[in-house]
Amino acid sequence: MNVVTRKLIAKELYVNRWFIVGGSLSGIASIVIASVGKMGFNVGALTWLTTIIATGVMLALYGIMNERKEHALQFVLSLPLSIADYVGAKMLGLLLCFLAIWLVSSAAALVLVFGKESVPDGVAPYTVLLCVFMLANFAVVLCGAMHARSEALTSAVIVVTNMGVSIFMFTVGPMEGINKYMWGPTPMWNSTFWSVLGCELAVLAIALALPFFLAARRRDFL
Amino acid sequence: MNDKHIEMRSVRKVYRFFTLDDVSLELEPGQIMGFVGPNGAGKSTTLRLLMGMISPDAGEIRVLGHVMPKAQAVAKRDIGYVSAEMRLLPHATLGWHMNFMKSIYPEWDGGYAAALVKRFNLRIEQSARSLSMGEHVKATLLLALARRPKLLILDEPTTGLDPVARHEVISEFMDVLRDEGRSILFSSHNTVDVERISDRITFIDRGRVVESSDKEDFLERWRRIQVQLPHDAVLPMLPNIVKREIDGHFVTLITNQYSEGLKNLIGPYVTHVQRMNLEEIFVANVMHHREARGK
Repeated sequence: MNVVTRKLIAKELYVNRWFIVGGSLSGIASIVIASVGKMGFNVGALTWLTTIIATGVMLALYGIMNERKEHALQFVLSLPLSIADYVGAKMLGLLLCFLAIWLVSSAAALVLVFGKESVPDGVAPYTVLLCVFMLANFAVVLCGAMHARSEALTSAVIVVTNMGVSIFMFTVGPMEGINKYMWGPTPMWNSTFWSVLGCELAVLAIALALPFFLAARRRDFL
Repeated sequence: MNDKHIEMRSVRKVYRFFTLDDVSLELEPGQIMGFVGPNGAGKSTTLRLLMGMISPDAGEIRVLGHVMPKAQAVAKRDIGYVSAEMRLLPHATLGWHMNFMKSIYPEWDGGYAAALVKRFNLRIEQSARSLSMGEHVKATLLLALARRPKLLILDEPTTGLDPVARHEVISEFMDVLRDEGRSILFSSHNTVDVERISDRITFIDRGRVVESSDKEDFLERWRRIQVQLPHDAVLPMLPNIVKREIDGHFVTLITNQYSEGLKNLIGPYVTHVQRMNLEEIFVANVMHHREARGK
């Protein structure tokens, strides 16, 4: 990794520093709210989901679309780097920003699952799958924003990925291998869990790799 | 061949509603080239091709000896690029940008950067978002100049600047050229700035280079000749006349190859021979080529 790529990754972390702090605090606060009674759990879970989805969308929008729209992309592309370097730095930089929020929020959710007696430990596999789904979801938004040249297309990607969260809940939640043990006292890391996790990781890997093969080879980047 | 700072050979770039066609350019070290054209002529497209931000559909581009866009990461180490529409990162301060550039470019001249901050009346603690358009242009110029690049590529760098700021900026360009190894390519539709500082000028219109020559050559060759014909006299066929306006007995001719021989051909009816400024030459040149292409 060359010095310009490293500096650009550091730039993403610097530019989004307050966003990372705010998103992480919001993730923790959501879990604190979720730990207070049934109503609190519902409100907290909703806020937690919203935090992760919104921070992912905003990072992609501000980090990629706005840079292009506000002509700051020209400044970045005038630096001694290739288009592939730019794509790599942008993908890694924004992924690190999101990972910071995601790790804090996911860890807080697992602390709630394993630490709170009223929440059964059996829900842990579903929680892990939901967290990894959110990460894959962000990777798809990031990939879409990197390739889309218009706001309309990026917005379409965002709408589809947001719908994906509901689809995940309606399809993975009722799966027998997940639903049957969800409210039990011990987590069941069964084949259903590993299959769904495998699919999520495959989507994550494809979404993160695609820009290096397509966007990085684009002939015109402005 | 590779000691030229810029070499473009027969470059073509096709868009849906615009084609940059058969563009060839050369810039030697120590030269300052004004790249002049009306809005939409292809100036920015040409400069973006030189920076590797877009790729040509045909032709060859070399900048500082490097093939573009393939070797852009290496070439851009020694290129300072500023565009009037380029913006800095909105949430970061000018000071942050200066440190950022310093960390990337080993040649960063901190003393010169500090002097430019003062000269341009900028504040390093100011965020890019709060800079006015003129301040933004000056800030981006500062970041490009303080790197001491071998080549400056400037896209309409004086757009949005007031006359005083323009004077300051142009003085800095002249300072850059005190080092004979450096060169500048700058696009503009402001021919006053171009005439002031360029030693070579290229006119571009509707995606094609119209003419490229030394500034003095342009100023020497182009003349407006005023003629007053007697009642029954007719002008002979004259070579190299790009425009002819007739108002009764008064005829105004514009030539792109003035010589005493041409004046003698017209005979005793010449009343005035006037030099033309660059704007007049530019307009006459572009209109002449548009007519020629129309035919």
